[in-house]
Amino acid sequence: MLDSFIPSWAELLRFMPEIILSLVGSLLVMLEPVTGPKSKSMLGHVAIAGLIVALGATFVAHANPGAAFSSMIVVDGFATFFRVIVFTVGILTIFSSYQYLDREGSNRGEYYALILFSVVGQSVMVVANELIMIFIGLEISSIATYVLAGFLRDDKRNNESAIKYFLLGSFATGFLLYGIALIYGATGTTDLGEVRQAVLQSAEPPVLLLSVAAGLMFIGLGFKVSGAPFQMWTPDVYQGAPTPVTAFMSAGPKAAAFAIFLRIFVTVFESVGDRWEPLIWASALASMTIGNFAALQQKNFKRLLAYSSIAHAGYVLVALTARSEIGTASAMFYLAAYALMNMGAFAVIAHVAGKGETTVDVSDFAGLGAKQPVTAALLTIFMLSLIGVPLTGGFFGKFYIFKAALESKLLWLAILGLLNSAVAAYYYLRVLVVMYMEEPSARTENLEPMPMSLQAALWLPAAGVLFLGIFPSAVLEFASASARLLGQ
Amino acid sequence: MQQLWLIPTFPLLGFLINGIFGRRLPKQAVNAVAIGSVLLSFVWVLKTLSGLWPIDQPHIERYFTWFESGELSIGFDLAVDRLTAVMLMVVTGVGSLIHVYSIGYMSHEGGYYRFFAYLNLFMFFMLILVLGANFLLLFVGWEGVGLCSFLLIGFYFVKKSATDAGNKAFIVNRIGDFGFSLAMFLVFVTFGSLDFDKVLPQVAGYADTGTITLICLLLMVGAAGKSAQIPLYVWLPDAMEGPTPVSALIHAATMVTAGVYMVARAAPLYQASPAAMEVVAVVGLLTAVMAATIGITQYDIKKVFAYSTVSQLGYMFVAVGVGAYSAGIWHLMTHAFFKAVLFLGAGSVIHALSGEQDMRQMGGLRKKIPITFYSILFASLAIAGFPFTAGYFSKDEILLAAHHHAPWMYWVATITAGMTAFYVFRALFMTFFGKYRGKEHPHESPLVMTAPVGILALLSLFGGFLNVPQWLSPMFPLDGGAHDLTLVAISVAFGLAGIGLAYYMYVLRPELPGQIATSLGGLYTLVYNKYFVDEMYDAAVVKPLISGSRQVLWKGADVGLIDGIVNGVGTVARSVGGVLKLLQSGNIRSYATWVVMGSIIVLVAMGVAGGGK
Amino acid sequence: MLDTVFFYLFTLLTLGGAILTVATRNAVHSALFLITSLLGVAGLYLLLHAEFLFAVQIIVYVGGIMVLFLFVIMLVNLDAAAAQRQFSRMWPVALGCVALVGLELFYFLGKGEPAFRIAAPPPVPEPTAGNTERIADVLFSQYLLPFEIASLLLLVAVIGSVVMAKKRI
Repeated sequence: MLDSFIPSWAELLRFMPEIILSLVGSLLVMLEPVTGPKSKSMLGHVAIAGLIVALGATFVAHANPGAAFSSMIVVDGFATFFRVIVFTVGILTIFSSYQYLDREGSNRGEYYALILFSVVGQSVMVVANELIMIFIGLEISSIATYVLAGFLRDDKRNNESAIKYFLLGSFATGFLLYGIALIYGATGTTDLGEVRQAVLQSAEPPVLLLSVAAGLMFIGLGFKVSGAPFQMWTPDVYQGAPTPVTAFMSAGPKAAAFAIFLRIFVTVFESVGDRWEPLIWASALASMTIGNFAALQQKNFKRLLAYSSIAHAGYVLVALTARSEIGTASAMFYLAAYALMNMGAFAVIAHVAGKGETTVDVSDFAGLGAKQPVTAALLTIFMLSLIGVPLTGGFFGKFYIFKAALESKLLWLAILGLLNSAVAAYYYLRVLVVMYMEEPSARTENLEPMPMSLQAALWLPAAGVLFLGIFPSAVLEFASASARLLGQ
Repeated sequence: MQQLWLIPTFPLLGFLINGIFGRRLPKQAVNAVAIGSVLLSFVWVLKTLSGLWPIDQPHIERYFTWFESGELSIGFDLAVDRLTAVMLMVVTGVGSLIHVYSIGYMSHEGGYYRFFAYLNLFMFFMLILVLGANFLLLFVGWEGVGLCSFLLIGFYFVKKSATDAGNKAFIVNRIGDFGFSLAMFLVFVTFGSLDFDKVLPQVAGYADTGTITLICLLLMVGAAGKSAQIPLYVWLPDAMEGPTPVSALIHAATMVTAGVYMVARAAPLYQASPAAMEVVAVVGLLTAVMAATIGITQYDIKKVFAYSTVSQLGYMFVAVGVGAYSAGIWHLMTHAFFKAVLFLGAGSVIHALSGEQDMRQMGGLRKKIPITFYSILFASLAIAGFPFTAGYFSKDEILLAAHHHAPWMYWVATITAGMTAFYVFRALFMTFFGKYRGKEHPHESPLVMTAPVGILALLSLFGGFLNVPQWLSPMFPLDGGAHDLTLVAISVAFGLAGIGLAYYMYVLRPELPGQIATSLGGLYTLVYNKYFVDEMYDAAVVKPLISGSRQVLWKGADVGLIDGIVNGVGTVARSVGGVLKLLQSGNIRSYATWVVMGSIIVLVAMGVAGGGK
Repeated sequence: MLDTVFFYLFTLLTLGGAILTVATRNAVHSALFLITSLLGVAGLYLLLHAEFLFAVQIIVYVGGIMVLFLFVIMLVNLDAAAAQRQFSRMWPVALGCVALVGLELFYFLGKGEPAFRIAAPPPVPEPTAGNTERIADVLFSQYLLPFEIASLLLLVAVIGSVVMAKKRI
């Protein structure tokens, strides 16, 4: 009896990245009062070091896969893939935050701690193999992100962003809980593997309850990934939050939410797949259309990327609709590419935004190509990747997704998706036009040189995007192998 | 191993060097890098081709597996066969000459290094397009050249029209790319591969003509975008906003012919679908006629040649559409020669007149810029199909094939040939004959510009003796039809008549054109305004799209209230009461209502889906 | 029989309290009705023999959280908010939504029991120990990880509220 109280070393090892990050996060909170106001950036360095160690621990854990803590978590290829994504997003976020926080006079240790805690929450989500764990992970990640969205307390836009995100987010989480409750009611367990077994072995599976549960879960998760019809909060929240936080929100929590989306819908709800497929189909189409067409009208760059983020959620939902191994793998690949290119694009915005984020319109980027050619070239890479031009990660992401859709006989969805991405080219292109083909704006005229930290936040994702575009094999193989295991 | 990868790598290096360091390099260094890289690439093409001689079998070099997923495995593979050889020679050969010309043409322009960097990048992608051994690599080049075209059209970005034209080209090409990528997916789903050497041999044994037709039609959508065919041709005339060497290289000689190359490359697919071939031929023919009529009425010298390009591309599509692939490629090559001369010559004229492009402001330049005049004259003779010039051979090959396929196509194409001769010589006479009507003092261009033009002009005269169909016969067998001299004579006669009519109207009786235009009235206005196609697209597609997304999605779905609050509503947001007030503002409430409504719809849908067995 | 009577009683408390919480204008009254509603839930726990949860529900929610709520409400001047419209013009939409869900509910009620098939409750072992002890057992063995991780959730919430609320950090 007493043995079960003490986890084995192997179990601890599988959970080590989260343990490390929680400890480092707590350490930051304790260090904060004893660091002088000039050396707050040190805390950020500590956070980055923690994330790098956690990345290492992820690979150690991956060498030793399996379930742990009474099957509460499971370390498999899928979990490792998403752990790497969320940790990388964390690192990039901190790199792009230093200058921003200094400029706003809010460089404080809590910021870095909250980023770490949010990352822990996301990491728990992606390794969780149990509905309650998923819920707790989601809440940790969300609450930390709500606070981050309003971190600059004296900024009205921050306040509004945080409160909108918080209220609507809690609202959506409620639906997720209802879904969990219904699954428990239908099967008597919350362990994903057991739920799956219960459904498969039941002579007459509770189709209605499971379908409604799938619907409820879709509401909760659809909100988190900003898929239609639960996308309306996205532009306001993305626009209002501090830019590095917006970057973080658009990549980390989104990837983690998609991870549990994939895990739950591929395992638990697989048997009622024909019931929820039309729902995801419709949501994918609506997300792509709303996102892309609304983005055509945007002048504010952050808002533009918010709509683009809705559209990209739509593409990933297309992959989900495919309900196949290759669909899962393509969604994973896409999320990795998307996280990188979005982080990069937002890092440029953080650079140009200026104190108080007064210059975040697309027109403020005019002449960037002449004034800071390297910055402009990197932003070009991200924009091309968002368009889906070959030799970038975004291209292969889209390529796999539509290939998966076609293999699952979703011809019309693929056609409409491709048409959508043709429309999308327009608004990304406008950024390039403004950047290269217009006279410098007042802002770019006096743009300060880019600090090292921000350069790291640009070069790393740019290298990643190109790597995924030129040598996609390794990553894709890893994703396919993980997807195969997941489906079993 | 012939190290094929070096061919595109040289221009890529040129792009990187000029792109990164170009700003700090002196002009001579920029020139050396830009032209050196393309020349090296040309030399390497020569070396490769002689090494592989006589290229009876396709030579494929596989470097690494690009990616693998499921049964799809695509390698970074380059291949050379006889078709590629022709394209390589055209791209690097004409490309080198135009690079040299650009030194002179761009010498007074700002952003000199940028121009050459883009031009080298273009060469890189174009060579990838031609060398790629699978559809995906072809698509990489395809997208890449589109991007460079966009950058180069918008090169004079101070002019808004240039930026707009660049945008237009990019967007229209995205529609074409949409067709191409869909076709690519279908090819993969149907044949399980994207490699040319795996897909194409399978086609003959594949029974489902419906799918093949669909693939071919979608490919044609892509080709129509890239090669400016109806209904996607609208971007090419506007693309003339770019610098003239760009017009010559990208929008006449190389990139716009990519569609023709692609159709020839996918010939086995088209061969399996007569319906799709018919569509290709008819689209090509319609484009040829329509663009030729527009060409007759234009006054901007570059616009005339632009419509002429659209029209000539139409010819090439007629050729591949009726199954005469080798004739299409032959015309592609000769067209690259003479159209490059026409554009570069026009560039010389414009350069000489310090930027004047309106032919009504020219005239009598024959004596003042003689080298340019003779070059353009030779090229005009070639395009008009004057006997034994380059255009004569390739065009007659097409006309004969068209006659073989359907006599009415021959007649339409021949009449178009007459119109072609007419508008080209109209431009020639308006520019070089009569009295000088402008104000600038014209001066001949420097040697660095006239020499490339001269070489290309000679190729326009004698390039027809390079018998491309013979060379390509292992890939595209000659049908061995009799060379019907009567048909040849008729088409030559039409060409000569066109020249004669132009001489009569623009040299002997210069007041005549105005009278004719007046007497034609509405018809003339219609053609002069390019059949109002741009306006129709604007009214039917662009306006509804923009106002639709504004009305429905922006006002409906994106309430944009954050601005409202920032602009004063939220002035008390700092106090606790302010936060509560925010809650009451109705904004979050309305969002919450949206969430609830969406949830209800989802739940009802899932309930019904789950309840129904 | 008696169980059923109590079930409906507690349900009435829960639902009635919830409705009145949103319907009353006075914030203090709202809070009091919320307490009623939470007490109803506690009663339901008791009916299910979840004595530990019953106690926790009363101590934590009714005793702790709600009292804090009441303090905050009384400290903050809410007159302005109370004077505002409590219902927006969205009510027809809300009505439609409710009607839709109601229709669906009746549809499935009409289909009868099979539509609501739920899993058979897991076999309950003979109560060798009390309810509280069994919860402790499960919490510290099988659910050890979620239990521990929840502490992180609380830590984040604390840091978050400090960041948001403290005047000078």
